[in-house]
Amino acid sequence: MPRTPSELLQGTVDILLLRALAGEAMHGYAIARWLDARSDGVLSIDGAALYQALHRLEHRKWISATWGLSENNRKAKFYTLTAAGRTQLRAESAVWKSYAEAVFKVLRPA
Amino acid sequence: MSSAPRGQHPRFFQLPWRSRSRIARDVDAELSFHLEMRVSELTAKGVGAEEAAQRAREEFGDLERTRTYCRDLDTRADSETRLADRVAEWRQDVRYALRTMRRSPGFAIVSLITLALAIGANTAVFSVARAVLVAPLPFGKPGSLVALYENQKQNPTERYPFAPANFVDYRAQQHTLTDIAAYRPLGSITWLPDHGDAEIIGGLIATPNLFSVLQTRALYGRTFTSDDERPDAAPVVIVSYHFWQRALGGDLHVIGQSLMLNGHANQLVGVMPPGFTLGFSEDVWMPYDVNDDMQDAVRARKQHYLKAVARLRPGVTIDAARADLATIASRLETQYPEANKARSAAVLPLRESMAGDVRTSILLLQAAAGLVLLIACANLANLTLSRTIGRRRELALRAAIGAGRARLTRQLLTESLLLALAGGAIGVGLAMLLTPTLLALNPDTLPSMFAVRIDKSVLLFSLAMSVLTGLLFGFIPALDAGRANLHGALKEGGRGSTGGSRGERVRRTLVVAQVSLAVVLLIGAGLLTRSFDQLTRVNMGFDPAHVLTAQLRASGARYDSSDAVNQFYDAVLTDLAHTPGVLAAGATNVIPTQGRMGTALRIEGEPVDETNLPDFGYVSVRGGYFEALHVPILSGREYDASDKPDGEKHVIINNAAARRFFPKGDAVGRRIQIGPNPSATWMTIIGIAGDIRDEGLAVPAKPMMYANHAQEAWERSLSVVIRTSGDPLSAATALRNAVKATDPTLAVRDIRSLDDVVGSSLAARRFSLGLAFSFAVVALILAAVGVYGVLAFSVTSRAKEFGLRLALGATARAVLLLVVREGLTWATLGLVVGVAGAVAAARMLAGMLFGISPLDASTYVAVAFGLLVVVLAACLVPAVRATRVDPLTSMQAE
Repeated sequence: MPRTPSELLQGTVDILLLRALAGEAMHGYAIARWLDARSDGVLSIDGAALYQALHRLEHRKWISATWGLSENNRKAKFYTLTAAGRTQLRAESAVWKSYAEAVFKVLRPA
Repeated sequence: MSSAPRGQHPRFFQLPWRSRSRIARDVDAELSFHLEMRVSELTAKGVGAEEAAQRAREEFGDLERTRTYCRDLDTRADSETRLADRVAEWRQDVRYALRTMRRSPGFAIVSLITLALAIGANTAVFSVARAVLVAPLPFGKPGSLVALYENQKQNPTERYPFAPANFVDYRAQQHTLTDIAAYRPLGSITWLPDHGDAEIIGGLIATPNLFSVLQTRALYGRTFTSDDERPDAAPVVIVSYHFWQRALGGDLHVIGQSLMLNGHANQLVGVMPPGFTLGFSEDVWMPYDVNDDMQDAVRARKQHYLKAVARLRPGVTIDAARADLATIASRLETQYPEANKARSAAVLPLRESMAGDVRTSILLLQAAAGLVLLIACANLANLTLSRTIGRRRELALRAAIGAGRARLTRQLLTESLLLALAGGAIGVGLAMLLTPTLLALNPDTLPSMFAVRIDKSVLLFSLAMSVLTGLLFGFIPALDAGRANLHGALKEGGRGSTGGSRGERVRRTLVVAQVSLAVVLLIGAGLLTRSFDQLTRVNMGFDPAHVLTAQLRASGARYDSSDAVNQFYDAVLTDLAHTPGVLAAGATNVIPTQGRMGTALRIEGEPVDETNLPDFGYVSVRGGYFEALHVPILSGREYDASDKPDGEKHVIINNAAARRFFPKGDAVGRRIQIGPNPSATWMTIIGIAGDIRDEGLAVPAKPMMYANHAQEAWERSLSVVIRTSGDPLSAATALRNAVKATDPTLAVRDIRSLDDVVGSSLAARRFSLGLAFSFAVVALILAAVGVYGVLAFSVTSRAKEFGLRLALGATARAVLLLVVREGLTWATLGLVVGVAGAVAAARMLAGMLFGISPLDASTYVAVAFGLLVVVLAACLVPAVRATRVDPLTSMQAE
């Protein structure tokens, strides 16, 4: 059974969102879809956690928001990674990678 | 992944700052977009609309919490951005202001000098004013300390010291004061150190409770106790910190040892903290037993020589204390009608009593400095206004690229504030540098308990003043720029506009205000100058040039007899008279201009009203006093060797006394009696001397007598007066040698030329005059610069008009007159307003004037004339420039 999104650690949500925006500007719904698709449905995130995280990241100036038109011509809020956000993503990814590798090493059957 | 907005870049329609409701709407829109997207995805998969909506909600999680969370966070973020933007804008304003100032250094320099002078002057005067009027006196809880005097019911402002018996009665009967202490300065005390020469020092005797009334403890050792007052008590002395440092080497071991004062050993029991003084620059304090002075009934109640200080009981007002003392006064009047008829008592805050006349001068100077600051403000406002109009194009450009009106106003205010702060900083620097120097050059100006310091509160005052100044002179121009029609300015190319008639009116009003303020200051300074001039021209009645003065004291037990005192002074004066270069040598108990001692007078054969005896000045002289000071003997003779100490008592009176009491001209040969005691010895008048200004230059001579010190040698301390043929100070060595040869244990103090002594009686006056005068000069220069600046600007902006006039055949003279007339009109208007103001203000000066009225016409005329000349000069350059306008270029320029 895939883990439920609410159990994702907050720090994990942040880095996933930053990664999602590393490519292009996206609105919240698109970010959720992207995450779902990219993790083959394992890391899905509920709206509440998503939007709270987005606004938190915006407040930290790691992402910035602008209003634009969505693919179906609706007014939507688009987020982009800022320079500070990109730096943060790079740093956090490195930490995550070494952390995950360490966990893997430990869990590997002897 | 086609979630990017259409068009490569998102469109910006977010405002820089959002309102609270806008933020709420934005959050709602974002969240409902998410839900709608999910719903449409689900319905596309064939889920029913209602169920889709239901599922979208469920999947989302806690919608309400998210909504509040996002709103709060966004609001917080928004206000943070807002603040950061403000700071950034302000920094930008400052950077911009600095750049603007660098671009027009002339304007900046003129403004800075103006501000530095104005704020510097205010800071300096304030530092003195604070010390005299506000800063705590060097005593504990000084607010409840009061000075007490006796006075006359008819003339309550004339205060005089207490008679000892009255002091004792007031002290015992009052119930509004914690206690009353009495003290009396001792003219001079001879201190004979263990090693080295004797020295004359200053001191006070005081009732032992003085220190407890003042609530001041000794820094080391102790103050007096009531035991020190007892007749059998060993004599003790307390020394000042300054004396302890200077003369005793700051050594703690001296406490408990004895000091030889006036030939007696006094045990040193304490050292007072630095700065403690009652205003006599005293070195030592000794206990005073008032009972000593109570033995002689006449002396006790009729001779007034005790100064008194007291502390109000907690919760008692000064008025209550006044009422209390008034009750006692009427009781004493009934009890001792002969001594206390129509007497009452005055209670004054101690500070007021100590500040005395200085208070008025300082308030006036502060007012003058304030006027200078106002003039400076008007000047700078004008300068800034003209400059702002010159900068229209630049301002219009800034407005065109998005700077709001408020932003432009703020920008200009920032410039003014920066200038004011920088000018203020320079001004404070100037004040810090100059105030101590000025005061050190005029040591007699301030009573010694007022310590002038530029401390935190003075700096705070200057900072506040700088900010206020910046706002004051920046406000009108800034408002004006914000209001200006900037489109028009851009189209015109920034030329030709004079800022409209409103701006013109403001500028003219400012110039008129400036001129009128300057006129007030000029007239004030003019009146003080005239009165000082009158004062120095006063016929003093004696000639201070080439006269040396110094203080001597025949102290020690061997001078307990008059004979010994006489021998000492005779020996010294004879020795001096035989010194080459010395023309005459005499001695007196009071050097002219240094004050007055009074006694009472009875004339033989005239009716006497014992309760109201005429006041009679008393000076004791010996040797060649009249000759040394060039005081003429108008009739009769002066004292000579035939006036034996034990012979018939003789007296010389002054001309004022002869005219007042012997109008028939029969003074010589008549007999008088002096002092409160009706059985005193009769003295025969043998001569009439010319009047001298003995109390001070500003006070006309009053009736007085010259006692023969040889016959009344109870005064041991005298000042010698030595007339020399050359530099008076050259006789100093001869004087020291003469004293040493007569008695090596005695000292000489305060060797000065009489010119210097007389000059110092004018020191405070000269000092405030100097300041007032420089303020007035600065004001005049500022006003002239103001007139010049506004005219010059007006000529530049009206070049086209002048060109046209010249082209149409106006003569250069006509154009010149046109401009000059404009300038003179403002000046005259300012003059009229200023004179009116001065007439009103001069009344406050009345008490400081001498020999002229506050409405002295010649001063007013001189100021008016001088002002017009200066304004005329200021008009000339712009006027001449107006005549040189080339008609062609001026018209093409537009």
